[in-house]
Amino acid sequence: MTKLQKKSVILCAAFAAAFAAAPAANAMHIMEGYLPLQFCIAWGVVCIPFLVMGFFSIRNRLKENRKNITILAMSGAFIFVISSLKIPSVTGSCSHMTGTGLGAILFGPGAVSVLGIIVLTFQAILLAHGGLTTLGANTFSMAVAGPFLSYGVYKLCRKCRVNRRVSVFLAAALGDLFTYCVTSVQLAVAYPSDQGGILASLGKFLAVFAPTQLPLAVIEGLLTMIIMITLENYAESELKNVGYLEN
Amino acid sequence: MKLQNFHSRRRRCLIHESESGRSSFPAAGQSGSRHFAPGVGSMDYYASQSGLRKWNDGYKVAAACTALLLCLVLNRPEISAAVFISMGIVNVRANLVPLRDYIGFLKIPIAFLALGSVAIACGISAEPLGDYRIWLHWRYLYLTREGIRQAMELFFKAMGSVSAMYFLALSTSAGQLAGVLRKAHVPKIIVELMNMIYRFIFILTKVQKSMKIAAVSRLGYMDFKTSCRSFGQTGGNLFLLSLRKADTYYDAMVSRGYEGEFFFWEEEKPVKFWQAGILALYVLGLLFLYFLVK
Repeated sequence: MTKLQKKSVILCAAFAAAFAAAPAANAMHIMEGYLPLQFCIAWGVVCIPFLVMGFFSIRNRLKENRKNITILAMSGAFIFVISSLKIPSVTGSCSHMTGTGLGAILFGPGAVSVLGIIVLTFQAILLAHGGLTTLGANTFSMAVAGPFLSYGVYKLCRKCRVNRRVSVFLAAALGDLFTYCVTSVQLAVAYPSDQGGILASLGKFLAVFAPTQLPLAVIEGLLTMIIMITLENYAESELKNVGYLEN
Repeated sequence: MKLQNFHSRRRRCLIHESESGRSSFPAAGQSGSRHFAPGVGSMDYYASQSGLRKWNDGYKVAAACTALLLCLVLNRPEISAAVFISMGIVNVRANLVPLRDYIGFLKIPIAFLALGSVAIACGISAEPLGDYRIWLHWRYLYLTREGIRQAMELFFKAMGSVSAMYFLALSTSAGQLAGVLRKAHVPKIIVELMNMIYRFIFILTKVQKSMKIAAVSRLGYMDFKTSCRSFGQTGGNLFLLSLRKADTYYDAMVSRGYEGEFFFWEEEKPVKFWQAGILALYVLGLLFLYFLVK
């Protein structure tokens, strides 16, 4: 092969990889059977304290008012529907929101962790996104790590008197990015490369998923912001009931 | 002729609904087109029309989990391939999923698998390593035989486990699964939430669909910019509507005597001796295969 031919082959390969990635935008769910058993169990155990915390927070809310159960269930269904919708994306392919950043801002990260594990189970059973053995790992990345970071960023931005819309955008986009990083870490720890170990492997996973996940994070931030603007305009009283718009 | 066809299809749909005991969401598979995007309703539809719907739910969960665990623990490509093929046959023959639709389901995780396998099989380094390599003018992109073998094994393992999960998803509806969890003493609040979320998902999906049609007919979803706007506004309105509906549903439930627990009518489906025998034979067969190839 001449140099030019080699270059074009590499270019084509890069293009093909980028486009093969495009339909895989829901790729942040680790698929069934992809993690060895010990990692499935380990990530499940890591989730337990967060789930227990979420469980108690939900129980307290129900003690306050039993009516909250339908609101919580609707919120869970809302997270599911939002995350199962195809969102407009630049490549014109099908991709999905995680929806958990939005949930964390609206309902708090504790409740979202429990709603998240239910939603992830349904996503596995109804949509074949993710899986049953990888439920622990997926719960940690999508229902614990992402929402907690989103919530933290949102609170921090509000403390520093950043514009509410900007803080919603930052919270959702960074939460999405963090989910993607955590998933890459989970994959890298399970499959370290023979040269350079976990860190090299982490770099590979981050690089492979980056072409879809980076634009998706920005889109997720934008969409969450538009949803919040709509809500602030039309649903002030409901937002107060949920606990957002406290001041 | 066409009208008659429509009526017969509609009747078939109604029969399925009454048989399964719940009004299932009109599944994408019923819409007449053979190529459907796997949506929320389709898995649920197959679960309610499955030939195994009269089998014990706990048994089905146990069977799927056993196959899954065997796939993961034994960790041999031969075992995974056997699970993949056997579960495929069960899904098509017993769960009555048309082969074409089943292949469509199998395509869903392929993209993740392709990317993940590339990341495992390939490596990047400054020195020429591995069995095959390309010089990228900066570093070497290399492939090792070991890496390729690992990626192939992972591919088989993942496909085997996915088909075991599909066996569960295509034979047991999410509501029945919540029933199994209740019997397994998962906290009441969680099972309650699962049952409600499961029902609300279909309500919200339906509302969202009509909202999308309304938006499209008013020039929404035209290009990227309007798509973002329409999507955001639909999302916001969906949330608003869901909260208002939640209030109404709670009132409706309380007026029918809801006191913090649902009681569903459940068919008694005892595990028959020969059903347990099939599972035992299946496990023994896989173990035998394992010792054969080891």
